[in-house]
Amino acid sequence: MTPTPPPLHRIDRLGALLGTASIAAVAWLPFVTFKANRIASGTARSLFEVLPFGTALAVAGIVVVVAAAAIGVASPRSRLAAAIVGIAVVALALAAAAADLTPPGNRLVRVSPGVGCWVLLLVQALLATDALARLRPGPGLRVLCLALTGAVLYAAFALGLFDQLSIMREYAVNAGTFAREARQHVLLATGSLGAAVLVGLPLGVLCHKVPRLRAATLQVLNLIQTIPSIALFGILMVPLGALATAAPWARELGVSGIGAAPAVIALFLYALLPVVANATVGLGRVSPAAVDAARGMGLTGRQVLTQIELPLALPVIVTGIRIVLVQNIGLVTVAALIGGGGFGTFVFQGVGQTAIDLVLLGAIPTVVLAFSSAVVLDALVDVMSRAPQ
Amino acid sequence: MIQLESLTKQYGPTTVVDGVTLAIASGSITVIVGTSGSGKSTLLRMINRLIEPSGGRVLIDGHDTSATPVHLLRRKIGYAIQGHGLFPHRTVGENIATVPRLLGWSAARIQARVDELLRIFQLEPAEFAAKFPHQLSGGQQQRVGVARALAAEPAVLLMDEPFGALDPIIRGKAQQDLLDIQRRFGTTVVLVTHDMDEAFHLGDHVAVMSQGRLLQYDPPALLLTRPADPFVSRLTGTADRSLKLLSLTTAGEAAEPGVGEGPSVPAAASLREVLSDLVWSGATAATVMRSDGTPAGRLTLAGILARGRAG
Repeated sequence: MTPTPPPLHRIDRLGALLGTASIAAVAWLPFVTFKANRIASGTARSLFEVLPFGTALAVAGIVVVVAAAAIGVASPRSRLAAAIVGIAVVALALAAAAADLTPPGNRLVRVSPGVGCWVLLLVQALLATDALARLRPGPGLRVLCLALTGAVLYAAFALGLFDQLSIMREYAVNAGTFAREARQHVLLATGSLGAAVLVGLPLGVLCHKVPRLRAATLQVLNLIQTIPSIALFGILMVPLGALATAAPWARELGVSGIGAAPAVIALFLYALLPVVANATVGLGRVSPAAVDAARGMGLTGRQVLTQIELPLALPVIVTGIRIVLVQNIGLVTVAALIGGGGFGTFVFQGVGQTAIDLVLLGAIPTVVLAFSSAVVLDALVDVMSRAPQ
Repeated sequence: MIQLESLTKQYGPTTVVDGVTLAIASGSITVIVGTSGSGKSTLLRMINRLIEPSGGRVLIDGHDTSATPVHLLRRKIGYAIQGHGLFPHRTVGENIATVPRLLGWSAARIQARVDELLRIFQLEPAEFAAKFPHQLSGGQQQRVGVARALAAEPAVLLMDEPFGALDPIIRGKAQQDLLDIQRRFGTTVVLVTHDMDEAFHLGDHVAVMSQGRLLQYDPPALLLTRPADPFVSRLTGTADRSLKLLSLTTAGEAAEPGVGEGPSVPAAASLREVLSDLVWSGATAATVMRSDGTPAGRLTLAGILARGRAG
């Protein structure tokens, strides 16, 4: 019997697709968009137009090497390293291009990443996350990776590496409000989540104990979920506005038809369904034998709930909280429409002024915030599920 | 002493347990048998009020159980169920410590009791106390379930089909363990099963339930020789009833004075096993030997056969 030799270069399908895309992006798609001022229409520039030929060639060469690694290298560690190098090189090339294209002292010209640059960053980020996923890191390591990425990004921004980029120009103009809106965004998202957990968890327990209540409650909460967020904000404006007019104490508490009050209430209503549903499902999956044994040994009803049922249902409950948090961080953006504040403020200002950079200044932090919360809470669920079921 | 007086459970128009009266002697094993839906589990669960009776009452050592708050009552009664019901998020040691903790025992006393029980059930504390239930075999999980039920030294142990999920070999071992432990602690055991062999093997008394009613409550031999109802005969089976009857008596109990010829048999063997031995070897008598090797008497084929007849 002759042993079949292992294939020397097995082609990775996902890698082939992404690698080809990145090579195409560097060859044919514009690397940056150059605008004479904030609202002027931009002109697309390729990598070789904006960087000295030698530098551009080096960047293109590295992109090709990363693509080749994605296609032909099997080791996830090497793939991850290649993708990280690729991202760093593209980011540095972008920073260099912005610095080169901006005349010294000029605060008007805008240099933003072009389609090709976005494709390169996206493709290489996908390669990096794919390689990370293949390494199957534990929950602690995943959070550490997130923290490291955050630290590197923070250092890059603190060093002013991207200061000449259009988004950072917008940031410089809005630096004062950015911190305030960021805090407001986080407060709205976590505040409504906290209220939803406080109300939803007992409601979920009640639904678990009283099956007749379960169907009705979940149907009502499902109905709320189908109301579009803008409509729900609008619906809430009327009664809250009336309340603020009629009751001075409510006005003193900051309740009014617009602003944070309707935003928090709407987010709270949206958050109830995942919290209640997951609590009910989680409690329903607890082994009936364990509950029977607990009661039979003389645990009181409260002890059965707090010592047996809730700890066993916790991973499912936290999964619900994760869903709510990520959903809330996205929905808070819409709250800016009714004066709720948050990153949505920049998005809607940007839309109003047709200033895409300002839109991105609101959108990118929202995505980063949602992604980071998902990673952290997923890790938390993993840790808790590892405690045997 | 546990007394059930006209114990009844109704769900709407359906009567699940119908006026059951019986007295269970302290330190004995009583097995409740019946087909599924006979009300045997409901009867057991009314003793620790996991199910509240619709009528009648339960007295334990003369005290009406309805006079005690239900969670305090249950802490004094051991409870083991099919599929063990161990808490998956707690270690073996924590599982066993459940009731002692509820009773507020000191940490040292709990530790000592957990170690003692693990040793009794042949689970080395250093190896098993910190394990989680899912890391154990089925037989080990079942043993921990019984150990947990016995943790607070209850005078009464209720068991609902405790060995139902075990394979035959492990089940035999678990039954033997239960007999040993019952003898050691003198616990009053009430056990529900649908397995007649298990009932005959374990029970000092057997209660036969059908359609919510108690048909007969007697020692196993009387169930065979004087069935109170045709259903009891059907349940025990008539085809091998003589052999079943022989299996209830040991060679030591039946030995006649004198020294016999033929093969020697251990005093702990049942007459059924001795009969099988005699048929196999072609002998007509056997010598009964005690476990210390001294002769205890003899058994003849005719003597054994006489004990396999009713009356």
